[in-house]
Amino acid sequence: RPHLLIVSRIGVSSPSSHRPFHVEPTNIVSVNDDMQRVTDEAAAMNKRIHYYSRLTSPSDRALMAPDHVLPALEEIYVYSPLGTAFKVDGCTDGYGKNSSLVTIFMIWNTMLGTSILSIPWGIKQAGFTTGIVIILLMGILTLYCCYRVLKSRTMIPLIDTSSWEFPDVCKYYFGAFGQWSSLLFSMVSLIGAMVVYWVLMSNFLFNTGKFIYNYVHNINVTDIVSGTNDSNRVICPGDASEEQPGNKSMLFLSANDTGFELFEEWWNKSQTVPLYLIVVLLPLLNLKSPSFFAKFNVLGTISVIYLVLLVTFKAVRLGFHLEFAWFTLDEFFVPEFRLSFPQLTGVLTLAFFIHNCVITLLKNNKKQENNVRDLSIAFFLVGLTYLYVVVLIFAAFPSPPLSKECIEQNFLDNFPSNDVMAFIARMFLLFQMMTVYPLLGYLARVQLLGHIFGNVYPSIFHVLGLNIAIVGLGVTIARFYPNIGGIIRYSGATCGLAFVFVYPSLIYMVSQYRAGQLTWLGLTVHVFIILLGVVNLIAQFLM
Amino acid sequence: VLLMGKSGSGKTSMRSIIFANYIARDTRRLGATIDVEHSHVRFLGNLVLNLWDCGGQDTFIENYFTSQRDNIFRNVEVLIYVFDVESRELEKDMHYYQSCLEAILQNSPDAKIFCLVHKMDLVQEDQRDLIFKEREEDLKRLSRPLECACFRTSIWDETLYKAWSSIVYQLIPNVQQLEMNLRNFAQIIADEVLLFERATFLVISHYQCKEQRDIHRFEKISNIIKQFKLSCSKLAASFQSMEVRNSNFAAFIDIFTSNTYVMVIMSDPSSAATLINIRNARKHFEKLERVDGPKHSLLMR
Repeated sequence: RPHLLIVSRIGVSSPSSHRPFHVEPTNIVSVNDDMQRVTDEAAAMNKRIHYYSRLTSPSDRALMAPDHVLPALEEIYVYSPLGTAFKVDGCTDGYGKNSSLVTIFMIWNTMLGTSILSIPWGIKQAGFTTGIVIILLMGILTLYCCYRVLKSRTMIPLIDTSSWEFPDVCKYYFGAFGQWSSLLFSMVSLIGAMVVYWVLMSNFLFNTGKFIYNYVHNINVTDIVSGTNDSNRVICPGDASEEQPGNKSMLFLSANDTGFELFEEWWNKSQTVPLYLIVVLLPLLNLKSPSFFAKFNVLGTISVIYLVLLVTFKAVRLGFHLEFAWFTLDEFFVPEFRLSFPQLTGVLTLAFFIHNCVITLLKNNKKQENNVRDLSIAFFLVGLTYLYVVVLIFAAFPSPPLSKECIEQNFLDNFPSNDVMAFIARMFLLFQMMTVYPLLGYLARVQLLGHIFGNVYPSIFHVLGLNIAIVGLGVTIARFYPNIGGIIRYSGATCGLAFVFVYPSLIYMVSQYRAGQLTWLGLTVHVFIILLGVVNLIAQFLM
Repeated sequence: VLLMGKSGSGKTSMRSIIFANYIARDTRRLGATIDVEHSHVRFLGNLVLNLWDCGGQDTFIENYFTSQRDNIFRNVEVLIYVFDVESRELEKDMHYYQSCLEAILQNSPDAKIFCLVHKMDLVQEDQRDLIFKEREEDLKRLSRPLECACFRTSIWDETLYKAWSSIVYQLIPNVQQLEMNLRNFAQIIADEVLLFERATFLVISHYQCKEQRDIHRFEKISNIIKQFKLSCSKLAASFQSMEVRNSNFAAFIDIFTSNTYVMVIMSDPSSAATLINIRNARKHFEKLERVDGPKHSLLMR
């Protein structure tokens, strides 16, 4: 089965309003096809239903399959590494039912996610003007590669690829190497996303807990962290001492001294809070089916919309503080072009990543001929959303007192823990991430264990072992390297290398070559794209 | 062959599925079938399938039982009694069953008795074995001194097909010898050979030289061929034989003896002698069937 999605593959279309049940024709040539999509029971049921439907008139319900005998539909999950993961309506008899608007929204919804928190930092690393230009260019580049992914399936001759996803195409062209390498890279993206989630969840849980504690105990905390001094306080956590930012605070309080110190000791962003999360999340990871969590998909949309509103509100309150200095270093502003711009491209590779499931998302589009148009519109809207958030944050960041350099890898960190709007945002995001995390864990488990052991739930020990490893990795990184910008750009550049840059271009070139239609222009352009991907990855380590 | 059971227990659907009969009927049956439904299907030589509803208005059926009894229960070779597993009137069902058995004992004491506990898909999967065992014990107890074989069936899985295959297997005269000869025949020419009963395409016997992955393939082939037969009959054509080939295999389905069809599958599609071999084997197998003449003619009565 395609290893990025769990497939629903069984049925026959019945003439009534009963649940449609569709079986794709089994390939009787390759007997040892390990991509067995239809179980023998389902195929037998298919023949039975076909035969019975010939025995009576369509209105006779006596020989119509009742729902309880049809094999349970398996679930298709679609995910973007830092975006949302959700369940797709699996049963189609070849025709999608979604209007263009719904498809565009689904793509936008899947792509947008936590990377929005890091892009302002990315712009800061690249310089404002350079950053904007890079966002536009990366958007176009990733859109083109996405288009190549879409087309890659249709260029395969003679085989019915209507149920294939991109990893199947990779396997077709590159054999077992293609299969295993695409598994490896998708694991990188999934595990990277899960680590980012753990770091962010620790952060949000910490701040939420701190806010609630301070509110309940009526403590007025004045962090000695530098920041603006008005009602819309913006802080610069990185400016503090050498220690972990935001952890220690001097306080002037009237309440119990030791109580607060005890709280600070037991509620520490990197030492203790990541461990508390284990209690909640590790059991959830071991569940056999996460379909319960797929219902919370709407939280992702709400979080993004709320973030946009928050950014707008803050920008209105803070006003614009922009100054353009091209190459010179300024105390408060960053040059328009900086050599560390690859950090932005790394982040954007993951921000625009949907290449692993774009085929499935577009399959449900009612008018298939509009696929490219709808995809482009979705990318445009995603880019617009990113640009909006980024420009507002960057421009509104109060630069005379604070330097633009202060923009944190998670821009919510620039708001103190007692900021109400930021508190609400953190709570939303915390809850949303806690519902997506088990889904991502489930997808990682299904792909990894499914491919290695052939069984998605070999035993509780295998599953527990895998989950402990993933959670352990998250906790360790939250403890020692909680820089989500860094994690995003490294994992983004790595898995983007395979799915965004190399595979689509390589497959295009190979298929064109086989069809005898490869032009010099095509060759040059796509080799250039591949080189861009490689350079992108290398630059992450150098810059 | 007498197919009996309470009204609504699934006999008509069962007959339609096994014998590939098109049922054109009202979705609301206005009453029990009050007459014996003769079917025109002959199978296994000269067996005729008669379908009869048992149960409904009590007094009416009782009268009918007494007056028509001898007619119905004479010359019965096989009694297949269908029980609806969801029935709420177990006592009554058993009562009718016993009446039938009494009639059988009087009129056709040599008949074979089969009990089908039907509609098992309506029972939860983990309870099916338990419920079936209970019913089986009751039925065996009630059937004494006659012996009955029990099966649990549902039209929505392979159990119906398997049950009827077992029934037909027990009705074929000379079946062990047939199987032995089939094995010899198959070992010479093929990877797998199936022997089907002609009217129902139930697999009577099969030989395979290596493990096959799909255990449902018999029923699937049966359903495919019956569906094809239905299509043929719409064109007033009758199905006789079929040949399927591709680069990896060749399969031949052909009339074999007067009661059977054969299917031969070979992974070497280039052999041209297969049809000739089948034709030669046919003569041999027909002789086998005719050997047990007296036993066979019991069916003619």
